[in-house]
Amino acid sequence: MTDRTRPLHVALLALNSSGYQSLALGYLRAYAQADDRLKGKAAFTTLDLTVDLDPWWVAWRVLGMEPDVLGISVTCWNARAVYEVCRIVAEVRPETVIVLGGPEVGPIAEDVLRERPAVHAVVRGEGERTFAELLHAFASGGKAWRVDGVTTRKLDEIVSAPDRALIENLDVVPSPYLTGVMSPIEGGAYLETYRGCPHRCGYCFEGKGYGRIRSFSHERIAAEIAAVAGAPQIRTFSFIDPVFNLTGERLTWLADTLEPYAASGVRLHTIEVDIERIDEAAARELKRAGVASVETGPQTTGEAALSACRRTFDAERFADGVAACRRAGISVECDLIVGLPGDDAHSFLAGLRFAIGLDPGIVQSSTLHVLPGTDLWMRAPELGLSFDPEPPHEIIATPDVGYRDLRRAEVLAVSVQAAYRARV
Amino acid sequence: MLVFERVAIGSGHGIRCTRCHPDNESPVYHPAAQVLAAVQAVVDTWHGGPGPNVTLTGPEPFAHPELPGMVAGAIDAGVHRLRLEVDGGAFARPGNAEGALGAGVRHVQVTLLGGTEGVHDALAGGPGAFDAATTGMAALDDAIRTAGVAAIVTVLVPVCRHNVADLPAAVGAAVQAGAASVLLRLEDGGIDLEAAAPWITAACDTGVVNGVWVEVEGVPFCVLPAYDLHLASTVRATGGAKPAAVCHACPLDRVCSGGPEGASAETMSAFAPPAGAERLAQAVSRSRGGAR
Repeated sequence: MTDRTRPLHVALLALNSSGYQSLALGYLRAYAQADDRLKGKAAFTTLDLTVDLDPWWVAWRVLGMEPDVLGISVTCWNARAVYEVCRIVAEVRPETVIVLGGPEVGPIAEDVLRERPAVHAVVRGEGERTFAELLHAFASGGKAWRVDGVTTRKLDEIVSAPDRALIENLDVVPSPYLTGVMSPIEGGAYLETYRGCPHRCGYCFEGKGYGRIRSFSHERIAAEIAAVAGAPQIRTFSFIDPVFNLTGERLTWLADTLEPYAASGVRLHTIEVDIERIDEAAARELKRAGVASVETGPQTTGEAALSACRRTFDAERFADGVAACRRAGISVECDLIVGLPGDDAHSFLAGLRFAIGLDPGIVQSSTLHVLPGTDLWMRAPELGLSFDPEPPHEIIATPDVGYRDLRRAEVLAVSVQAAYRARV
Repeated sequence: MLVFERVAIGSGHGIRCTRCHPDNESPVYHPAAQVLAAVQAVVDTWHGGPGPNVTLTGPEPFAHPELPGMVAGAIDAGVHRLRLEVDGGAFARPGNAEGALGAGVRHVQVTLLGGTEGVHDALAGGPGAFDAATTGMAALDDAIRTAGVAAIVTVLVPVCRHNVADLPAAVGAAVQAGAASVLLRLEDGGIDLEAAAPWITAACDTGVVNGVWVEVEGVPFCVLPAYDLHLASTVRATGGAKPAAVCHACPLDRVCSGGPEGASAETMSAFAPPAGAERLAQAVSRSRGGAR
């Protein structure tokens, strides 16, 4: 992209689940808008659409904006639709530079560029700083391939610049809520208090992709809570933190901060917790924070699968945690994964039986997705995992369970869960 | 996986094959107070995991003059999941589906004797029964969606020699009518299990490809190799007290329910323990143990 006299028109697109907006795009935009070098050189529009929309109509919306740059957040479950949108947009308006980012494309950036000619660049890893640098390069005639964290095309070559270091002080990323980039919506607003995860589960990108835990400051978190929980239209919202009860002290501080809003009826839904560390006191703190429901594992109870996925599980502590939450009036969603390496259909059934037996409130199973960049993705040949190379990368078979039994286990689980849910 | 205790609302049976049971006696209903006393006893002694859950069994509940009071009483007594076993036809009548859901019924099991009008009506003993059942199920399904409550409709197919070839169609009909799952219960001890097996497996596959689970009760592991996940012995952890001297000695004895009630040694002698029986027995035992 050559030197320019008018501002770059940057369209940011997310294909979300219905009722949600993309926090990732909010961060990207808030960071780029705050970058002095881009002032007057880039103008932003965000398109928060839903993944169930026909990609042709999504492309219609994008093309109507005539963007110079189209940035799209890609996850495993919206990737197919995103690629379709890219194909159509590139065909109709080849001058639009298409930049992808997100956990689905970052770890396989070169493959994405090789297989998707419509895509010009992929932002790898944490995107805020890299995307802003990339826009600066576009706006000033710089070289995209020199921007750390970017994989792009250089003539006929696909080149990857060095990885970019993680942002040390997360507070430098302006809050989308506090800057007015995003307005919280009822039931679909999320807050993030830290990045990274204390766990290293083999199927998950969170711990591996974002490394050690980095937290936003208490002041920043409190201000965001006030902006979201204090908004008149908000009665429920959530946090995307992988473990809400990261430490006892932090949980108490969050409960202190959230308590006034909880007292006025604001509730937190599907907060992810480490249930084995919840005792009566922790459950009371969750209640004080306004938590109505929590989401947790066990994902599996099979020893071989736990080992293959680098997870720990203590059945007694898990059951105690569920019971403590239930006594505090908090609904628990127990999650299970079908098709983990080491689990056969019967081990999965054992996990399902265990979860139902706890009477947690909700039991939910999903099929394993072997996500790019995860430990299982990298060890798939060693573990003998057969999975769909196309997103969402669903497991096809493992040495422990074949294709037919996997599908049976999925259908059986849905049936059991529906029967469990059906009660007065 | 969920345990339901059965409480009879009367003597006699709901809909069943009139060829297998030509002398179907007239039902006699128990007074509501008697039924509710039995329900209360279940609630008071509940130790079966999530619950208490009760199935009201016996003759058609919608012919019981005190059904609304019994349902309300059971919910008041503390039942979490109340299941009615019905022929389905009553739900086609205006207000019944909404009334049942409003009163707290969350599980309804409709009996289908076949997947087509021809088979179902012939075995039920009269015309119009299939149409009434499927129309009732569809009405109930609509009412569940409209009410936005978590409730499910399941289908029971009592399997006998007269309907075995219709099992895939019965599952198809259940799918079409919105059933969440199907239970094939083998009730004919004299059925040719070798001939029945392909129909049962086809019925299981019909369910899976349509996203509806099919469970099979009264069939031992050796009759349906590779379909062990579908067996009630696996899913509901029933069995393990296999009738002696009917089957070959088998590593699966400790987890298998054996053949249908009344199956003879001669019938069962055609089936040898399946390949990998010991490993399968261990897997089923492991799954019954819950965690680890």
